[in-house]
Amino acid sequence: MEAPPVTVMPVTGGTINMMEYLLQGSVLDQALDSLLHRLRGLCDSMEPETFTDHELVYLLKGQQGNPFILRARRSLSHPNTPWHLRYLGQPEVGDKSRHALVRNCVDVATSHSLPEFLNEMGFRMDHEFVATGHMFRKGAMKIVVSKLSRILVPGNTENTERLSLSYLVELSVLAPAGQDTVSEDMRSFAEQLKPLIHLEKIDPSKQRH
Amino acid sequence: MGVTCVCQVPVAEGKSVQQTVDLLHKKLEQLGAVKQGSFCVDCETYHATGNVSGQPSKLLYVMHNSETPLSCLALFEGGPCLVADANFDVLMVKLKSHFQNAKGHKVECRGSRYRYCDFLIKVGTVTMSSSARGISVEVEYCPCVVPGDCWNLMKEFMQSFLGTSVPELPSVFVAKPEGLFAPADCVDTVTQYLELFNKLRKLQIPGSNVR
Repeated sequence: MEAPPVTVMPVTGGTINMMEYLLQGSVLDQALDSLLHRLRGLCDSMEPETFTDHELVYLLKGQQGNPFILRARRSLSHPNTPWHLRYLGQPEVGDKSRHALVRNCVDVATSHSLPEFLNEMGFRMDHEFVATGHMFRKGAMKIVVSKLSRILVPGNTENTERLSLSYLVELSVLAPAGQDTVSEDMRSFAEQLKPLIHLEKIDPSKQRH
Repeated sequence: MGVTCVCQVPVAEGKSVQQTVDLLHKKLEQLGAVKQGSFCVDCETYHATGNVSGQPSKLLYVMHNSETPLSCLALFEGGPCLVADANFDVLMVKLKSHFQNAKGHKVECRGSRYRYCDFLIKVGTVTMSSSARGISVEVEYCPCVVPGDCWNLMKEFMQSFLGTSVPELPSVFVAKPEGLFAPADCVDTVTQYLELFNKLRKLQIPGSNVR
């Protein structure tokens, strides 16, 4: 049993700030098969990965300002895998000609005690949903086609109701800050999916009432 | 990870912390233990801001153990515990307006790692704000994960180099029903370190810094 390396410097502060570049769109249920067919042809793997995930969105209300949002996601199809905790920052305001939505992103893999732990920290669950669909990869790009369902009874993931008659499509890349060629590559990939689907930059803050 | 016990060793009469640690190293080497690198366990304390007045602020401890370098353990004393990857530290930086890092409360335990057959022994100096506060000894019996089955053997082994400073069965194991496995994610080990750190934090050390 070898001794693991002991770092003298702390882990905090040395980690690169990762950014998520995002383009979103949707297709009606009837168009799903054509989209999957086109993606199979354009993307890396032979068969896409299917998934069924349960996501819970937690809010921490502070003394002032907007509440702090954390997203906790677990796989219903692979129940023993770790939970995925995600923090997404405010979208970067800046270059209007930039093709994708850019925001700071922190991803943490955690044990199954996550919901209880978040409650102890003071977070309260705001809403939850089930997402099922397919995931494709092309290089650093990830394309996720998902059907979102509302959970009717809190905590019961068996009893769900589809939110809409369409599928949400998200094209994303996780990259260190400052790599602007990423959004160019995303835009040219999105071009290849037209006119089946129109992927665009949708600012989430403009969606709030 | 096998059953692990963390205990405090008192500083030898008339000797400094460093001299006591050296004495323990010598005893282990005489037994036939082989030095295998070093280890570090550290603990940072965060307290929640913006709490209801009158209620004491909850303390969140974030700990790292060099035995599991890619993981981070976050726990509330007596409350739930979360095992996360190293990015949890980055998340705590993002949460700094809700959870303040009590920088003066950082505790570190560093020392040498010894291997003796199926035992792993770590003798560490516990420091708080650069002053040595005490000595910790961690003994792990690697082949076994059931505390009840190997506690007597571990106690006997510890007696061979700790003499009379052998501890009782750690409270984390007393709380578990008979026959339950110690989980392999080192939560029990880290909980014991936290208890030790909190105990040392409350002790008043007479005189100035002891190195």
